[in-house]
Amino acid sequence: MTDPGMTTTTSAPSLRLDNLTRRIGGRAIIDGVDLAVAPGECLALLGPSGCGKSSVLRLIAGLDTPDAGRILLEGDDITRKPPQRRQVALVFQSYALYPHLNVSRNLSLGMEIRGVPAQEREREVTSVLAMLQLTELAQRLPAELSGGQRQRVALARALLRHPRVFLLDEPMSNLDAQLREELRPQLRSILCAGSAPVIYVTHDQQEAMGIADRIAVLSNGRVQQCGTPKDLYLTPANMFVASFIGRPQINLLPQEDGTVLGIRPEHLVATDDSGIPVRVLNREWHGASQQLLVSSPQGDLRWTCDGAQPIGEGLRLGWDRRHEHHFLKTTGARC
Amino acid sequence: MRLRALLLMAPALLLLLAVFAWPMLEYAWLSLHAQSVFTGLEPVPVGLANWQRLLGDGRFWQDAGQTLRFAGVSVGLELVLGLGIALLLHQNWRGRGVVRSLSLLPWALPNTVMALGWRWIFDDPNGPINALLGGLGLATLPFLASPQLAWIATVVADVWKTTPFVALLLLAGLQMIPADLYDAFALEGGTPWQALRRITLPLLRPYIFIVLLFRLAQALGVFDLIAVLTGGGPASSTESLAVYAYLNAMRFLDFGYSATVMLGMFLLLLAGSALLLLLPRGQEVRS
Repeated sequence: MTDPGMTTTTSAPSLRLDNLTRRIGGRAIIDGVDLAVAPGECLALLGPSGCGKSSVLRLIAGLDTPDAGRILLEGDDITRKPPQRRQVALVFQSYALYPHLNVSRNLSLGMEIRGVPAQEREREVTSVLAMLQLTELAQRLPAELSGGQRQRVALARALLRHPRVFLLDEPMSNLDAQLREELRPQLRSILCAGSAPVIYVTHDQQEAMGIADRIAVLSNGRVQQCGTPKDLYLTPANMFVASFIGRPQINLLPQEDGTVLGIRPEHLVATDDSGIPVRVLNREWHGASQQLLVSSPQGDLRWTCDGAQPIGEGLRLGWDRRHEHHFLKTTGARC
Repeated sequence: MRLRALLLMAPALLLLLAVFAWPMLEYAWLSLHAQSVFTGLEPVPVGLANWQRLLGDGRFWQDAGQTLRFAGVSVGLELVLGLGIALLLHQNWRGRGVVRSLSLLPWALPNTVMALGWRWIFDDPNGPINALLGGLGLATLPFLASPQLAWIATVVADVWKTTPFVALLLLAGLQMIPADLYDAFALEGGTPWQALRRITLPLLRPYIFIVLLFRLAQALGVFDLIAVLTGGGPASSTESLAVYAYLNAMRFLDFGYSATVMLGMFLLLLAGSALLLLLPRGQEVRS
């Protein structure tokens, strides 16, 4: 079921998770996770809340210790290294800015305790402030910043760590939807500029698809599938991935033979007389397309179309066989 | 609007005036009178005579110094110990909840009961400390009969009693600091010791300030602990200003001068609090 996903990367991985396992109170919250991330690559860890994605970050950062498995960073085993010595940066969901220090002191504190000379600190802070358009805000306290500004400060602080791995834990979840979309390309260009591998945790599939080179879908502490956004959309490894990737959700129709047929709403088309008869139950108008809920003998279906179907209308729907996905009803695996 | 605001504040203001301002005015009036056995306990106006006496009263100024030293050393020790205990109670370990509750016990004891307990503990030669010293073949120590030892005894008793209160306040402050800050700091290379200095202490400053304000005001007015434990002795070496004011009224039956001592102490406290309020209070944690 798991796929290390090394097919799309050619260079040697700079971060490798080997059978990583973490148990809390007898329950495995991370259950044999294998992942490899290449230098400069951005991998999204995508999954519903409680799937263990943040726990994976904490293990890589050294804020928690695994019960089994290894973490290799540039070939060196850091599984038991304390966080201070890993040279890993983490952007927290809360941003974790020091509330008593202004922006520039927030940025320089880490260098100060690492013994970086004052002149160099000043130079680095000045350049990162300019790069993230924070120069004007240098003297402000975190409480005097907006959510987006705080996020940039957190990002700047992570960049100043010159990390060997860049970790981000839902860095957008405290921002409103419009700002999130605005910041995505900006964030992507900053993350891709360095040669450090990036691991980006999110529960938002759009964000994952927009930012990451590859996505690892996590559920119940296991990697369900790891691949490019396109791989995940075109050939989901199981029903969970199929339902998690793609909006609106894929239609899953149980069949007589113990399999489940999956067909995406955007692959349904109106036909003359060959398809299944449906009736329109509900309609959401989205501008470029409309989102219909239709009833069929096999259950309700989601259908994305561009026509103007009124509620109550009866018609027939079909699809191209190439767009069918088949899963086993028992395990959910693709077949 | 202004009228309504005044009306809404009136009950609290009236209460303050009744229990605070009125007795203060009464004291001020009394401090301008002689009322003692020599006047047949009748108030006789004497102008500023009581205040003149106060300025030249060596015992008053000696007691002021002693009170200040007692408050400074006790509160300083309580702050250091309280912070240590708060940091320990803030960690995750088994039985923390029980210890947290038990540690408040000394603070829940009435002062007089606590002071009586310590008087017995320090007793020479029958107290447990001297019994222990004797058992080890060492000479017993006259804790409450030697000025230095008696002073130490008052500080020990006060620290024992109020450290839990300080720890509790500081613990509340520690719990306001998000754990993420420590994780972020560790990832930047910071050691726990550096985190204490760079994150914990600065963010705890508003709480330390409140502790100082509460505790100094209380310790500078110390009465019952000293009255019961040493009675201010030996030879008034542990006497606080409040004990001196009490002695003037209740032993020397000199109510006019007692009121003057009381007011003098109040003015010193007021000046001290004003100084404290000038200190920078630090940044509040806002989420």
